[in-house]
Amino acid sequence: MARPRWRGVRGRVGANMSGERAAESAALAAGPDSVPDLLERLWERVGKFLLLALQLGLAIIAVYLFEIESRAFLHLSILTFFGFALHYFLPLPLRLPFFLALSLAGIVLVFGLETASWLVALGLGLFGIAHLPLGYRARVGLLLATAGLLACLRVGWAPVPWSAAVWPILGSMFMFRMAVYLYDTKHEKQPAPWSQRLAYFFLLPNVCFPLFPVVDYKTFRRTYYDGERHQIYQVGMLWIVRGIVHLVLYRFVYYYCTIAPAEVASFGDLARYMLATFLLYLRVSGQFHLVVGMLHLFGFNLPETHHLFYLASSFNDFWRRINIYWKDFMMKLFYYPAYFKLRKRGPTTALVISTLIVFAGTWLLHSYQWFWLRGGFPITLQDGLFWAVLGGLVVANSLYEAKYGRARSLGRRTRTLAENLSLGLRTAGTFASICVLWSLWNSESVSEWLALWSAAARGVPESGSHSGWAPTAFAAVIAGGTLGPPRRSPTGSTPRAAGKGFLRDAARALGWIIPLCVIGLPPVYTRLGSTVADAVDTLKRARLSDHDAAQLQKGYYEDLVRVDRFNSQLWEVYMNRPVHWEIIYETPAGRLTGDIAYIDLVPSVTTQFHGKAFTTNSHGLRDQEYALAKPPGTVRIAMIGSSHVVGEGVGDGETFEAKLEQLLDAASAPDAAPRYEVLNFGIGATTPLEILVRLERKVFDFAPDAVFWVAQAIDVDQLVTRLIEVRKRGLEIPYDALRETLDQAGVSPDTAESVAQRLLRPYAPGLLRWVYQRVVEETRARGAVPVWIFLPRVAERIEPSKIDQLALIAQEAGFVVIDLSGMYAGLDVDAIRVAEWDNHPNARGHELIAQRLLEALRVNSARIPLGLSSSSDSVSRNDESRQAMESR
Amino acid sequence: MTVDQASQIREAVKGFILSEFLPGEDPGELRDDTPLITGGILDSIATLKLVAYVEESFGIDLAPHEADADHLNTISDISRLVESKLQGRP
Repeated sequence: MARPRWRGVRGRVGANMSGERAAESAALAAGPDSVPDLLERLWERVGKFLLLALQLGLAIIAVYLFEIESRAFLHLSILTFFGFALHYFLPLPLRLPFFLALSLAGIVLVFGLETASWLVALGLGLFGIAHLPLGYRARVGLLLATAGLLACLRVGWAPVPWSAAVWPILGSMFMFRMAVYLYDTKHEKQPAPWSQRLAYFFLLPNVCFPLFPVVDYKTFRRTYYDGERHQIYQVGMLWIVRGIVHLVLYRFVYYYCTIAPAEVASFGDLARYMLATFLLYLRVSGQFHLVVGMLHLFGFNLPETHHLFYLASSFNDFWRRINIYWKDFMMKLFYYPAYFKLRKRGPTTALVISTLIVFAGTWLLHSYQWFWLRGGFPITLQDGLFWAVLGGLVVANSLYEAKYGRARSLGRRTRTLAENLSLGLRTAGTFASICVLWSLWNSESVSEWLALWSAAARGVPESGSHSGWAPTAFAAVIAGGTLGPPRRSPTGSTPRAAGKGFLRDAARALGWIIPLCVIGLPPVYTRLGSTVADAVDTLKRARLSDHDAAQLQKGYYEDLVRVDRFNSQLWEVYMNRPVHWEIIYETPAGRLTGDIAYIDLVPSVTTQFHGKAFTTNSHGLRDQEYALAKPPGTVRIAMIGSSHVVGEGVGDGETFEAKLEQLLDAASAPDAAPRYEVLNFGIGATTPLEILVRLERKVFDFAPDAVFWVAQAIDVDQLVTRLIEVRKRGLEIPYDALRETLDQAGVSPDTAESVAQRLLRPYAPGLLRWVYQRVVEETRARGAVPVWIFLPRVAERIEPSKIDQLALIAQEAGFVVIDLSGMYAGLDVDAIRVAEWDNHPNARGHELIAQRLLEALRVNSARIPLGLSSSSDSVSRNDESRQAMESR
Repeated sequence: MTVDQASQIREAVKGFILSEFLPGEDPGELRDDTPLITGGILDSIATLKLVAYVEESFGIDLAPHEADADHLNTISDISRLVESKLQGRP
């Protein structure tokens, strides 16, 4: 009999590899066989591999077609494919070192060599401290001190030579796992090999998934090849596919089902809001399935997490299903130690206090996790309330179970009809309760959450359109709870027969992934009708939802935007943003006025803003020097607006205002003196309200011949938001019409923001119309031409009807309208914006705007008499409109 | 520790698990290697009940880190743990 090649490995790699060893031992021990036996062996050694590789390849195609997660994840998936192929044929002793090397290669692939080196070096430093030849307490103390030092660096107290992108991943790999590692290695009888210890921290998928911080170290060791390896791989494949499906479903919910709190105006809306908020958790569930599935491909037979958690039938059941890795972490480090200490006081007391400690710890540790992701440590009342209520419910549930027990079974038990109905109702009750709690957790504040209920109770008849699918979803939960598959263990994977289980799971995985790949192909979905094609096309694109895009824009205006773990798409964008990405008034060049004007630029300042030179002239404009009095023979244009006009993210002289001036001069006779002056009256973080004030207080002193009012889609919302804030702060509003509208809507200084938003929303178009009419009247009264220019944000998806509505308001007010909404169509977004976290145009983008503006001015030269000749090669008005339409 | 004593430990533990957590189940279905924690039979509350039973019945003390799947996942694991405690081994 051939001697197994891995003899002697048992003690070094792990205690439980009997399944793997037995299967391979049988294969190696087999001698010459008959044809059926040979075929059987060929199937075992090659056929299964090819079937697994096929599934993994299709999964990667789905990741590509549906832009699952990030481009980095696609690259990592491809690396995983080739890594798996090599790993599969390696002898067992080489697999762990190979996995570790592959994980490190993954970090280099995603981050590049320099950043990856920093990440690995920092990680090895922490790992090294944990293994210093010192006592346990000394090592723990040193690690705490190091973590404290890193925390100081995380908040930016001192500059660091590594990229900010290192922090979330470093935090994810070490800041929880190190605690488990220290705890478990303190008690372990047989140390793991170094490759396994290091692999525990540098897990291959982690570099793309910072929300996966916790794996139990003992489980990580115990489950390594603890079963037949093809079955382990296949289960992993199934979970990868399931993760992809969850992420596509998440995208559907994110794009089509979510509504903003301010849109809640009936109980139907409220139900939809709560459901969608809870369903957004599919993102985390999908990510966990992907991560654990990928680890299975390398022999880590980790337990399933998030198993049918929407169908939990009690609060304890929910806690045991949703994120069992977190639950196990809290049980190990908090629950059991607390219980053992407290049990002298009686089991009930110990159980209650230990459970409450777990939930209090969970509350704080979520903020701790958030700290490493974003650099802040949010402690909010709604967080505390959520965990307190959930903890209380779990305590009550635990006491009930401790007294009366719960139904357990060694096998699958047939339920009676009454039991099924009871289970369905309990499932629906649990689901509804968690939805309500989840919405509290997600709310901006407790008062905002209560305002949702008030708004729903008041009810607005026309808002019923939001509510249609909410009862359907609840019915689905009841049906799922009643008729769904028999519940198996939520805490561990069920042992399966290797043969049948493998093929069955492969069929299930292919049954999902093949249709997904097929429908994701443009030649297929474009033939399914425009509605389906649009829906599939939307689901295939990873982007911010309209609400989150607005939130991102809001972030430019105020640093109060709630970017947190709940709007995960948005925080990922913010995660890459430098910690100090200031608003203009936080720099020497800007200041808060304390009145309705909000912000002013400080005259004659040179500073750095978003990494670029930012200089103001003696008039407090971001521009070169101009005399207050207009020189003879000069056409003067006042460009007024917000951050796009002032040029956030580009250097002095790179703004489209400055470029337009150059283009206008170049367009005039070559031997003539400069005939055009374009003055930049833009200030970032201001809304139509402050821009109007600035126009009246400052612009007209410069006697412009034309006022270019640069508008954006978000202007209406920003105007409403600012008016509410002004009223809340008690600032004087110098316009009777605006004051009266606020009074009429019932907005007082005490009105909660979401309520005020809801009250003022119906008046929003009228408010903007009033502002525009005022601008036009004041401008024309001074003999100048008012021009309204619609300028889209880069990477903005705007409903055409919204632009039409804004343009109509501007036109009716008396503006000359220029619509540049299609100007970014077909361009590479990343080539024309400042950064992923900042959708302002970069220098190239500003150049494009200036060129398009010049063309539009030529086309409109009759209505905007600036002395420009209409060029034959310029874009006609019809062309402009056509391009805009095409881009939509 | 004799074979009889080890067998008695396993029988006692099995009897407790069947009566406390699996009433009505076929005793033959509960084998010495049936996964209790990873199989979802022992949740945290049940694990603590089992710990209390084992400590009281066999006069031993368990530590918090022993209340896990490495030590209590099967009747055999539990029996081994009890035996090692009774023999005074760590």
